[in-house]
Amino acid sequence: MEIIEENHGGINIFKLNGRLDSNTSQGFEKKIFQAIDDGSKSMIVDFKDLDYISSAGLRVILKATKALKREDGKMLLCDMQDYVKEVFEIAGFDSFLPIVGTMDDALQGF
Amino acid sequence: MAKNKISFKLKNKLSELDTLCQKLEGFGESIGLSPKFVFETNLALDELFTNIISYGYSDKKVHHISVTISLQDSQLLFSIEDDGMPFNPTEVDEPDLGCTIEECKIGGLGIHLAKNLMDEVCYQRCKDKNILTLRKHIQDPRPAKKRMKG
Repeated sequence: MEIIEENHGGINIFKLNGRLDSNTSQGFEKKIFQAIDDGSKSMIVDFKDLDYISSAGLRVILKATKALKREDGKMLLCDMQDYVKEVFEIAGFDSFLPIVGTMDDALQGF
Repeated sequence: MAKNKISFKLKNKLSELDTLCQKLEGFGESIGLSPKFVFETNLALDELFTNIISYGYSDKKVHHISVTISLQDSQLLFSIEDDGMPFNPTEVDEPDLGCTIEECKIGGLGIHLAKNLMDEVCYQRCKDKNILTLRKHIQDPRPAKKRMKG
């Protein structure tokens, strides 16, 4: 899986490309927690090019969201493919994670 | 004519998830399964396989997990066989889906996903092996034969 990190006016953007499973989730966890340790409080995870997510990926998203909340920060998730969104729905995560339509919607959420 | 059954073995390491994905995609393509169906199937098998290799073995040895997938009428049947410690995923407590983010725990979530994405998940312990048998109905059957005509 490829992770592209960008900074847009103080917002950390993580663009995920490929498959987020138990084989790749550790790399993502390291990057996202590095940003939190560095003081980032606003984050967007762009799911546009993510083809696959398993519970290992959901775990990282949940852990990072909780960590950011403790720091009064916020993370938005955007541009999910239908299959990927379905996984969040079956897990019940769509009820408490902020999932928005497009990157523009996400940027406006800050 | 497309082959309607495949069998393969995976080693007990996470990098084998890529092999699982390749095998499923190849088989799905050969019998004309939709990408959504392949995705859901991949996820269910991923969760059960990851569970086996994460918790099934206390030694450091290489183990093999056997997977068989077959098309029967309008459904796919799966069998996953491992020689790990006895573990019945169908008895794992369902996670509390109505929880808030603070209460939300990740345990049991993978098995919850697998159960939801399959029509049936059965477990049996037989001759020191865990055998999982899964079934998923194909809602949108597109047999390879028909596609070839068009």
